[in-house]
Amino acid sequence: MSWETVIGLEVHVQLATRSKMFCACSTGFGAPPNTNVCPVCLGLPGALPVPNREAVRLAVRAAHALGGRVAERSIFARKNYFYPDLPKGYQISQYDAPLSIGGGIGVDTPDRGTVEVSIERLHVEEDAGKSLHDRIPGKTAVDLNRAGVPLAEIVSGPDLRSPAEARAYLVAIKQLLIYAGVSECSMEQGSLRVDANISIRRGGDTGFGTKTEIKNLNSFANVERALEAERIRQEGMVDRGERVAQVTLLFNAATGQVRPMRSKEESHDYRYFPDPDLPPLLLSPEWIEQIRGELPELPAAKRARLVSAYGLTGYDAAVLASERPIADYFEAAARAGAPAKSAANWILGEVMTGYNARGGFAVAPADLADLISLVERGTVSLQAAKKVFGEMAASGGAPAEVAERLGLIQVRDEAALEQWAEAVLAAHPGEVARYRAGEAKLLGFLTGQVMKRSQGKADPKGVQAVLQRKLTT
Amino acid sequence: MASRLEEVGRSGLNATLAWSEAALLAEAARADAMATPGPLHGVPLAVKDNIVTTEQPTTCGSRILEGYRSPYNATVIERLRAAGAMVACKSNLDEFAMGSSTEHSAYGRVQHPLDPERVPGGSSGGSAALVAAGVVPAGLGSETGGSVRQPASFCGIVGVKPTYGRVSRYGLVAFGSSLDCVSVFGRTVADAASVLTVMAGLDSRDATTVDRPALGPVTAPASLQGMTIGLPSEYFPADLDPGVKAGCDTAIARMRDLGARVVKVSLPHSGLAVPTYYVIAPAEAAANLARYDGARYGPRFEQDRASRADRGGDLRALYRTTRGKGFGPEVRRRILVGTYVLSAGYYDAYYGRAQAARARIGSDFTRAFGSGIDLLFTPTTPTPAFKAGEKTGDPVAMYLADIFVCPASLAGLPAMSIPVGRTEGLPVGGQLIAAPFEEAKMLATAALLERQLEPEAEVR
Amino acid sequence: MSVTAKDVEHVARLAELAVEPGELPELTAQMDRIVGFVAQLGADRADEADEAVVERYVPGPEATPLREDVVRPADLAFPPAAIAPEFVEGFFVVPKLGPMEES
Ligand SMILES: [Mg+2]
Ligand SMILES: [Zn+2]
Repeated sequence: MSWETVIGLEVHVQLATRSKMFCACSTGFGAPPNTNVCPVCLGLPGALPVPNREAVRLAVRAAHALGGRVAERSIFARKNYFYPDLPKGYQISQYDAPLSIGGGIGVDTPDRGTVEVSIERLHVEEDAGKSLHDRIPGKTAVDLNRAGVPLAEIVSGPDLRSPAEARAYLVAIKQLLIYAGVSECSMEQGSLRVDANISIRRGGDTGFGTKTEIKNLNSFANVERALEAERIRQEGMVDRGERVAQVTLLFNAATGQVRPMRSKEESHDYRYFPDPDLPPLLLSPEWIEQIRGELPELPAAKRARLVSAYGLTGYDAAVLASERPIADYFEAAARAGAPAKSAANWILGEVMTGYNARGGFAVAPADLADLISLVERGTVSLQAAKKVFGEMAASGGAPAEVAERLGLIQVRDEAALEQWAEAVLAAHPGEVARYRAGEAKLLGFLTGQVMKRSQGKADPKGVQAVLQRKLTT
Repeated sequence: MASRLEEVGRSGLNATLAWSEAALLAEAARADAMATPGPLHGVPLAVKDNIVTTEQPTTCGSRILEGYRSPYNATVIERLRAAGAMVACKSNLDEFAMGSSTEHSAYGRVQHPLDPERVPGGSSGGSAALVAAGVVPAGLGSETGGSVRQPASFCGIVGVKPTYGRVSRYGLVAFGSSLDCVSVFGRTVADAASVLTVMAGLDSRDATTVDRPALGPVTAPASLQGMTIGLPSEYFPADLDPGVKAGCDTAIARMRDLGARVVKVSLPHSGLAVPTYYVIAPAEAAANLARYDGARYGPRFEQDRASRADRGGDLRALYRTTRGKGFGPEVRRRILVGTYVLSAGYYDAYYGRAQAARARIGSDFTRAFGSGIDLLFTPTTPTPAFKAGEKTGDPVAMYLADIFVCPASLAGLPAMSIPVGRTEGLPVGGQLIAAPFEEAKMLATAALLERQLEPEAEVR
Repeated sequence: MSVTAKDVEHVARLAELAVEPGELPELTAQMDRIVGFVAQLGADRADEADEAVVERYVPGPEATPLREDVVRPADLAFPPAAIAPEFVEGFFVVPKLGPMEES
């Protein structure tokens, strides 16, 4: 039996604000426990929420980036459940009137090419605190620094067909939101979290099977692993004639297994209702449009433009556009006169290696352009240029100056080249004879010898010209 | 002040919860240290114990907050102190302001100042009794469905509820957030108005406050010439208590004497108010009271039976025991009702319909005020103060004690009760209801009417 | 509409409220009385028909104000440790959840 996997993801991203969603406490990461707290986020008797304008602005921006329809009127609602890190006993979220409905994102999938994954909705909500189950023996320790941190929840349609596609979707969402300046999307710092819904159906069916939900997914790799484990579990059940039950599962990264957390019957009845502490969130059409205007060029548009404006290959454009700073670096180098293809090659090689290692650029794009031009003009060889680049990254300096200092400027002086060439011809009479007898490929060998004698400084083109002249006369 | 509080403490009224001589001295010192004396300089206020203060515990009349001290002060407390007022004491109340008799306090019932067998009304019965007994000139209460007007009526004092959004709720412990209003008692209209004026105004910490020009000082007009007073027929049923009716008739006659035009009006959806209220308020309360779980503040309660077999382990047991024992019976009933009406499958039938009914009740008022009515006048309560224990057996009978005060709460309107006379020795209150933010008109009318009435005289 | 003991037990679980078995009959009767009382709102159908469908009624401002994104330290008279029933090394401490729920 061939099964099709159907996956939808709920992604929670932290909106990059300084203060929390409904109070003036800091969202800073890493503060001592329960120090970024106040009456509002502690849920003290009598405290009231007031929404953060910047959080709303960033959420609207995210909605625009995803092509959603931003609602001029949305409603905050209370989602009621008891958990030790939820101080009020309810989470302020949005329910039947979310901030944005619809939209989609193009995802490069391993098997189906680029797929447009639909977005069902995007809403704003507050985060819960953190429960630590192994901090104090036999107890649960609660830190409320995160409680009230602003989040956007992005719910995809059931459009993903494999765990690998789920991962690709996450890569695309993360790239988009970082581009749009909405979120840092760091799973390590908890600013991006994922819940996954998965079901299976017979290939060709259009209905949906019973879905299960997997929580506690703390890396993209684990999303894929957990979904793979659950896909296999569900297929096994159906193949054995069992029925898949609607359950919430927790993924254990250590064992690679999923285990049930609660079943449908016990699943929460969240008793959503409009939060009476918060009047409707009304956004003027002008503000909504203004925020749209603030959006930078997004990855898909940038990729397309890199191909059309610079003649790059789709692959090069995709790698350069993967992060906004890299694409910006490329364009700056191109503006400084570097030919696009050379600049792309350099960036995909030397520049990215350094960027990934140190998290920043050590060589200014204009200096890279100058270095490329030294190579193009034959002043330094490509090999030597790589050494120059390494030295520039380590100690700085302008390319010509560094090349000079390292003695890597190519020698094109006729007299010097002739001197080296004569010495080589004299040292290799046999090869010279064979060349003259028609063995043309020996020119390469002789060029190499001249290069060696010059300790790599000779300009190879000049060397060839000198040798050819001497050998034919 | 301290001696009066001591005396009232011995009297058995049971109206005060926390107060101390040290705190009183500190309050007085703070007022005296002000460079320029504020408009309420040295005025001692009874503060209902669901308004948070850092100096005293804030218990809400509940075991679940026994000994709880708030690390911040309510906005109204900050504003009143800035005007020179002093917190004299925290006052007793129905637990979490849920009740109409102040019998539902974990710290014992409050007695009516004129008859210990009777209730002072509620839920703000402690502040009402302290003002009526002359211990303080004014006091703070809170209204969700009439919890200041109804006890003001029972105790023969003035009780004013502002427009929803006029006074900050920051620091008022939430019961029904879309209804809750900090409200005020005074022995006179002017006393109540001066406290209200200081408290009112936009608060950046409460998203439901409204930016409106400040309330000016209240001055009684010379007459009611040009005023139209509406009498909603639904508030004068055939079986209205004869003493209450007589008291209201007296007040209506005085208003006519003062030149007001008095007309009959209809608010056809008034009958829906109490059931609507008992869906919306419990629903909001069920969520508002979820935070009391013994995890972060307040006492924890031990379980006496082994319910540890509960899946969910020890934490769920802590929640259930703390909430099961920490809340009294009325609060538990309302949490259960509120949870029920919001739960899967029932939301539309209860909460959805209650919202629709609330809108109808609101539009009844809009229509009345739009037709040239300046103020509505009604009895505040269907009967004078009832006896303790009379209605505790039947929650619905207790709820109906608020039948005339509930509608203005649902509509978010300003409303007040003033004493209009006595029947068989018990005070009768008359209610004025105004259009949104028309407090000034309402208070000025009441200030004039108050002079023409003899609140301590038998009516009829 | 009538409320059963099972309904009461269900909502008590949702609300995390212990209800002793001995209390259940009276509580069920009271709940039934209250829910029966508020159910009269449902009997109001005829009235609903001749009026336009009304939006949720919200007193107070039309729209929520929005705060500027400025960090301000909480001005607490005393720290969380002073109000917590159990507070260790900066953490609020509660009994363990069942293993099923820990994440
Ligand atoms: Mg969510
Ligand atoms: Zn906070």
